[in-house]
Amino acid sequence: MSTGDGERALLERKMRKALQVLILQRGRTPGVKGWEMKRYLGKDYKTILQVLSGDLKQLGLEVHEVPGIEGTDDSTRYLLRFRDSPTLSEAESAGFRIDDLAVLAASIATVNSRQGRVGRKELETFLREKFPRWRVDYSLDRFIKRGYLDQDEKGLLRVGWRTRAEIDEKSLMTLILARGEAAP
Amino acid sequence: MLKKHLPEWALIDVMLKDSEALQQLVQIVKLQDQWIKHRASSLYIDPLLLELKIRLLTREDLADSFVKCWHPVAQVDQLTPRGLERAFTYWRELVPMSERFKDEFGNYAVAPGQMDFEELQSLNIFSKEEFETRLSAIHRELVEKSGNGETDYRQFVRAQTFEETAVRAYLMAFVVTEGRASIRVDPLTEEIFLSPIIGPAGNETKSVAIDIA
Repeated sequence: MSTGDGERALLERKMRKALQVLILQRGRTPGVKGWEMKRYLGKDYKTILQVLSGDLKQLGLEVHEVPGIEGTDDSTRYLLRFRDSPTLSEAESAGFRIDDLAVLAASIATVNSRQGRVGRKELETFLREKFPRWRVDYSLDRFIKRGYLDQDEKGLLRVGWRTRAEIDEKSLMTLILARGEAAP
Repeated sequence: MLKKHLPEWALIDVMLKDSEALQQLVQIVKLQDQWIKHRASSLYIDPLLLELKIRLLTREDLADSFVKCWHPVAQVDQLTPRGLERAFTYWRELVPMSERFKDEFGNYAVAPGQMDFEELQSLNIFSKEEFETRLSAIHRELVEKSGNGETDYRQFVRAQTFEETAVRAYLMAFVVTEGRASIRVDPLTEEIFLSPIIGPAGNETKSVAIDIA
């Protein structure tokens, strides 16, 4: 076996390992942190993940990185996620009602427009103008539980880890504004 | 500057008040810094403008905007041998329900139970005539609201107060039991639908527990 073949085999083995650690959930939060990736794949883990992400394109998946609070490579979290967005009907068949998604969209947009945090009571009052009271309470609790929103002990809501991992927040804000302009 | 003015401060209280004022000013500058950074970021939108936009949009528009920016995480939940071992250990060491709260509450508490119609009558919550009238009224209301279709259970039983909601849910349970309405639960969305049945009641009965809290 030539040196080139050996390197390719090693790269493929590391890519398989990377896919394995990314796809199997460990603990409550999905994804693997940078320092763990380094341990599994070695110091060139970023290159391996980049190549893997390119290969996964054919399957409609990608490796996505979410920067950690510390802003270091070690604290960055790597996740496997869908490259393309689902359609509304696909989201509904996955158990999300249109009302739930609308509450979540409005909540994330409101939190982002208020410098990243908003009082839960204030948000509830605003959402109740558009949705039934029980739906607002139920949806907010559900999204806090799933990690889309985060509530602190003072009752302030922020976007949660799952929102940062799954949602392109800038596009969401732009789309909401654009649709508003199109509305009569 | 401090060295120059330090001798002018005669009292320690004045110095403390000044330092406190300085600290508050620093806090204001810090908050202003955060505010400017946020406004300069691409996520900044005037909150009032955004609220107005959200009010104008339909639920479908909001949901559609959301899914267009959504990339769900792909993952596999799998039970590992270690997880199975931990679950087994937990189950083996779990104290039976009857023993679990014995120390805190003792054995004398009354367990939650059922209350039948006779008991409600004896408590003056319902009289027989009133009960029949209200049953017919709620069935009529269901027919009016649903027509030939279905209506959402939670919206239908919801009232101004929790007590009234509970009474409406109780009455609906009788209407369904009597076969004058049918109930359907969507397993995906967990929505519950009611549809009135006009005509003779069927024989098939089934118990459905619904949380209205």
